[in-house]
Amino acid sequence: MSSQAPSQQTRSSDRVVDTDTRRANALAHLLLNGALLALFGALFLRAGALPSSMWEPLGAGSFPRLVLACLMLINLGIMAQEWRHYRGAPSAAAGLVKRWLWRHRLALGVLALFALYILGVPLLGFRLASLTFLVLVQLALGVRRPRSLAIAAAIAVTFSFGLDWLFRDVFIISLPRGPFS
Amino acid sequence: MTEALFAGMDQLFTLSTMITMLLGVVAGVIAAAIPGFTITMAIVLTLPLTFTMEPLQGVATMLAVYVGGYSGGLISAALLGIPGTPSSVATTFDAFPMARSGQPGRALALGIWASFFGALVSAIILIIAAPPLAMIAVKLGAWEYFSLIIFAMTVVASLVGKSMLKGLMTGLLGLFIATVGADPMMGVARFTFDFELLANGFPFLVVLIGIFAVSQLLQEVEDAEQTKHGKQLITAKVAFKPLDALRETLAHPVNLIRSSLVGVFIGAVPGAGGSIANLLAYDQAKRASKTPERFGTGAPEGVIASESGNSATSGGGLIPMIALGIPGSAVDAVLMASLMVHGIGIGPRLILDHGDLVYGMFMAMLLAAFMVLVVCLFSMRFFLRVTDVPRSVIVPVVLVCCVVGAFALHNRVTDIYLLLGVGIFGYILSKLNYPLAPLVLGVILGPIAETNLRRALMTDENWTLFFTRPISLTLLLLAAVSVAFAIRHRLRQRHATRPA
Repeated sequence: MSSQAPSQQTRSSDRVVDTDTRRANALAHLLLNGALLALFGALFLRAGALPSSMWEPLGAGSFPRLVLACLMLINLGIMAQEWRHYRGAPSAAAGLVKRWLWRHRLALGVLALFALYILGVPLLGFRLASLTFLVLVQLALGVRRPRSLAIAAAIAVTFSFGLDWLFRDVFIISLPRGPFS
Repeated sequence: MTEALFAGMDQLFTLSTMITMLLGVVAGVIAAAIPGFTITMAIVLTLPLTFTMEPLQGVATMLAVYVGGYSGGLISAALLGIPGTPSSVATTFDAFPMARSGQPGRALALGIWASFFGALVSAIILIIAAPPLAMIAVKLGAWEYFSLIIFAMTVVASLVGKSMLKGLMTGLLGLFIATVGADPMMGVARFTFDFELLANGFPFLVVLIGIFAVSQLLQEVEDAEQTKHGKQLITAKVAFKPLDALRETLAHPVNLIRSSLVGVFIGAVPGAGGSIANLLAYDQAKRASKTPERFGTGAPEGVIASESGNSATSGGGLIPMIALGIPGSAVDAVLMASLMVHGIGIGPRLILDHGDLVYGMFMAMLLAAFMVLVVCLFSMRFFLRVTDVPRSVIVPVVLVCCVVGAFALHNRVTDIYLLLGVGIFGYILSKLNYPLAPLVLGVILGPIAETNLRRALMTDENWTLFFTRPISLTLLLLAAVSVAFAIRHRLRQRHATRPA
């Protein structure tokens, strides 16, 4: 009995976390599928306005409408499923979103840097944008020691200036050059 | 035949051809290992280099890139969970979990041997059965193509993830994404909203990189503590024992031969190719297995099925090209172009007019399969060093490679914007446990499905032909069986996990 107690405790604490995320997950599914349902509905109507052909029974809009109709049915199916899960799970503890954001801070940080990098490629050119991105992400992911910093710098130069050279001079593909090239 | 075979071998086994083939194998393996660089791109880049070569040397070099590419896709699929090419999507299902459980060497070695045997079987079948198989493949009309795609979609939706409904949703989403841009029959712009970004539609390669690479890499850095302490992707000690893997691969002879035959047949169907073959071979292996629940958790049968299936399409794709002048895939079309550059006409007379060249190509396939095996076995220890590289290095470097791959495809900046959008969407879907493989397959197969559906109804408005033509009916019945099997399997699982 005594040996079972800690494991039961662990299981019960796991269950708290599980029900927490289960309700939040169900809500996320409901929101995503609700948004997609609205989007697919609007696109379905728009597809109806696409021209038909005098040479074939199906026009330009028929296949997309068929796919969109199936998608909307599936969205409704998933929403019905998730609504049952949502109603069956107890309310989530306070601060769940904050905890989730904190847990995913690195992934979201890298995603933000990646978005800035992509927007920066046509403005700064591939070489400079890539160099900056590679240095910043490696720093964000914990490169601190002098030796690691030196390796990070070498990697950044190789995969920015080196890749640009490889593509330009070997594959004859010019990557975006930017105003500083 | 014997005379042509020896004449072909005489031209093939020269030092310069062997060297260019070896370089082609290395280039193919490396190109396919980099997410975003497809075999098609590698072969297109090789094409101009072959203009000055003899016809057989040029085409043999390109075949070496082709065969090497099918094996190279395994590397990033197993080590990073990112399919290097669409043909290694199913490889990620088991090779990646196997690598993550501390056995990356076993995952790679199994994949290498399975690829080798797949390529070997396809080359042998190519030599024996090219003309009769090509005749079967070209009998497929628009009805059969459409039904084949329905079958492929239901297979993949029922294969991946815990919910078939979610698998179907992402598959259909892929089909819808493929409708954005110009309509394949009339050229009418659809769902572009006058945005230049959408005018050309969503290139499947950009969707593939965004969906798999970006979302996978973001998941790699979710664990802040492990990432900040410089943890590698795979922390266990890496062992690479190719002979043990050979024994393990040969311990599944039925799986190996069945998957290779699936690959050869799918490769021989024009327009299908490795992206379908690996999934169908995986599906067949799962269905035949006594322990299907192990699939998706690192089952060796899954790695063997996917890799032998995709590699076998390389030989299958040559069957309709050589016998009838119909390329089985984009890669085969480039191979065809390389022969036409040298003034060699492709069609039914090819084997009669240039027997030495055709048999030389067959032998080049066999030789390339052996070269890939040797190159991979010797270089895999080097590739396994990837597992020593900390996440802080591998994540940004692969993200930059993804951007380069997406841009280099059409030299368009808009493609990298699409990459970002698709990557974010893929990350959201993966966080909510929606399977991503059906989405990519939907994008690849969407245009083929729509074109063939419309072509079928244009030929004859009677839609019952989908159910009355024998091959089409068989494929649709297989699709229904695949759905029924998946539902039954899930009900059993639910029953088993329900508390007594």
